[in-house]
Amino acid sequence: MNEKRTTASPPADAQTFVGSDETRGILRGLSRGFSFVLASKTATVGLVIVLFWVVVAIFAPFLTLYTPYEQDWMSPNAGPSSEHILGTDELGRDLWSRLIYGARVVLVILPITENFWIPGGTALWGVLIALLIGTTLGLVSGYYGAWIDELVMRLLDAMMAVPIILLYLLIMASLGASAINVVIAMTIVGTPGIARLVRSLTLDIKTREYVKSAQTRGESPLYIMFIEILPNARGPIIVDSMLRVGYAIFAMGTLGFLGLGMPPPSPDWGSMVAKGREFILMGSPWASLWPSIAIASLVVGLNLLADGLREESMRYQ
Amino acid sequence: MGKFILRRFLLLLLTMVLVSMAVFLITESSPGNVARNVLGSFVTPEQEQSFLVQMGLDKPAYQRYVYWLVGSDWHASSKTGFPLRRITSEEGFEEWWALRDDGSLVRWKLSGDDLISVVKQPDGTTSEHVDNDAWSRDDSGVSRFWGIDTRNHAVLWEKGSDLKVWTFIMGTGWMKTSGGPTEYLPLKKGFIRGDPGVSLRTGRPVSKSLFPRLRNSLVLAGIAFTIVMPLALVLGLLAGVKEGSFKDRFLSIGGMTFSVIPEFATGIFLILIMSVWLGLVPGATVFGEKAPWQRLDMLILPVLTLTLIELGYILRITRASMVEVMRAPYIRTAFLKGLPYWRIIVRHAVRNALMAPITVIMLHVNWLMGGIVIVEVVFGYPGLGKYLLDSALFKDINALQAGAMILVLLAVGTQFVADIVYTFLNPRIRYT
Repeated sequence: MNEKRTTASPPADAQTFVGSDETRGILRGLSRGFSFVLASKTATVGLVIVLFWVVVAIFAPFLTLYTPYEQDWMSPNAGPSSEHILGTDELGRDLWSRLIYGARVVLVILPITENFWIPGGTALWGVLIALLIGTTLGLVSGYYGAWIDELVMRLLDAMMAVPIILLYLLIMASLGASAINVVIAMTIVGTPGIARLVRSLTLDIKTREYVKSAQTRGESPLYIMFIEILPNARGPIIVDSMLRVGYAIFAMGTLGFLGLGMPPPSPDWGSMVAKGREFILMGSPWASLWPSIAIASLVVGLNLLADGLREESMRYQ
Repeated sequence: MGKFILRRFLLLLLTMVLVSMAVFLITESSPGNVARNVLGSFVTPEQEQSFLVQMGLDKPAYQRYVYWLVGSDWHASSKTGFPLRRITSEEGFEEWWALRDDGSLVRWKLSGDDLISVVKQPDGTTSEHVDNDAWSRDDSGVSRFWGIDTRNHAVLWEKGSDLKVWTFIMGTGWMKTSGGPTEYLPLKKGFIRGDPGVSLRTGRPVSKSLFPRLRNSLVLAGIAFTIVMPLALVLGLLAGVKEGSFKDRFLSIGGMTFSVIPEFATGIFLILIMSVWLGLVPGATVFGEKAPWQRLDMLILPVLTLTLIELGYILRITRASMVEVMRAPYIRTAFLKGLPYWRIIVRHAVRNALMAPITVIMLHVNWLMGGIVIVEVVFGYPGLGKYLLDSALFKDINALQAGAMILVLLAVGTQFVADIVYTFLNPRIRYT
């Protein structure tokens, strides 16, 4: 990617309009990002799908008349109707409402207790923490090399040798089902891959002149790793993390489906499918169909976006 | 080369040991109380204590790890002074007996202060005798005896202690008996010797249910694999021949779509379309006593689900590899030489393009397992994955550890094979 952030500001009134110049810079950056996305048809389609789910998740409370827990005993397992646009599940809960609150848990909030949540979706937090730990491990083992590298990499190799589904099963079986534990599980599973990527990037970048000159200046290793190397490795890391968000959503759904995700009755796509599956052969497919479509469209959207971005950035190189 | 293989093999062993310890620690440290799960929540503290002691769960973790890995019979054998034998009775139960010098098998039970030996003759008949000579009296005047009880433990009896024990019999309930021993050592042969212990969930030996399950899973994976492999390789090569063509975009976006949709969603879509809507195939797998290959129609949807998810992944890797090869200078040279198009593709490009996907496929076994677990749950297929999930949810540690180790063994083993295959395929690799 050739975005060197050189702020070419007009020289005359630069001092009087520092604030507006900064905002203009950010806006320009954003619009450049957008035109970057819009240049690729694949990425645009992906972006539209992802944005749909993000918007729906953020404004979930305003988009439905029902809470995800409200039970309508008169019409359990009903199909779409004017009252419940997507139908109801086996307890008569509104599926649209559960669907969009489920998107909220994935993308917008991380429920810590029943009444307390922090912003940033569960899937996003899983990727973010894995990113922090993995990046640090990768930088350290790539930069220092020698026995640190050997130790870290052997440990990560051993972790990667274990089938991921097994890691999930073991972690969730020993920790129990809750949003925090889902984040922990995703972190443990995601870290080795990120560390490997960052390590290989670091190995490449640390041979460059600017790293050598920073070393000659006598900068601390910490400075070199995080200020010199990391920003120059960001391109591949960003594309990789976008794919990882897609995978984290995939994993969240899978955990929920296996009964290892969010504890009931919280709206969780995976567990909605698992519950609804029992009623398919009894003639009410809706409860399992909608969340399946939701999760499929969201991960496909994210992958289209990441794919398009990768293609575009490759075209520039 | 030999050195390289040896090194990889040692690394494999090291990984297995590390992973087995990790699996053991994680499952054992779980807060969910094993006894509560097995016995229900109305269990009294004494009953719970009895149960834990009889299962050997009161022992320190390192000792349980050793017993689980290499068995406890050798230890029990040195304590009792008899060689121990495991036999399968006529009813199909596994029983541990001590072997006497005269070739007869013997177990003991306590009745009041009398030690009763139960002797099984080679012809299968059993007889009971009072065997009080076996007590050995120590300095403080207490008579003790290490023997084999009738429920597959090596036990230490103390004369006159007359402990009350609660015994839980699966399907029957609690039994309070006197004449309990002071120490239990559950007998098993250990994971390495093919006996991971008794499932806490079913009360049957884990190996009895684990291996048929493993076979079922291998059947499913094998069928899916034989379908996916050639299909994905061919489609991937086709897509990669001309980068950016309609064929390429169609195949790679289609492949990506199917490979990123979670298996359970694909499974639900397929059930709805093929089974509920079109009514072509059964939407669930119910085999009863039959083996999976006797009901092939029930395998169609699980195999199709696995195929779809695996297809895209391998297709994309093959495509990327083919695209790279097609850009290589020697392909351009071949074109400029005026060689026929198909000859260039088949003789020059495909051979080199297949190298990357073949190794990646081997490494992909790791992912395939994840897919299989989900597919088994979606369709109720009686495979290893479903067994593992049920065991994990129940905290059936013996079964979970055994299943986990088998999965890891498969994953690490295929990785090992992939490494070796790769060095054969690619002579440029220098093995160190």
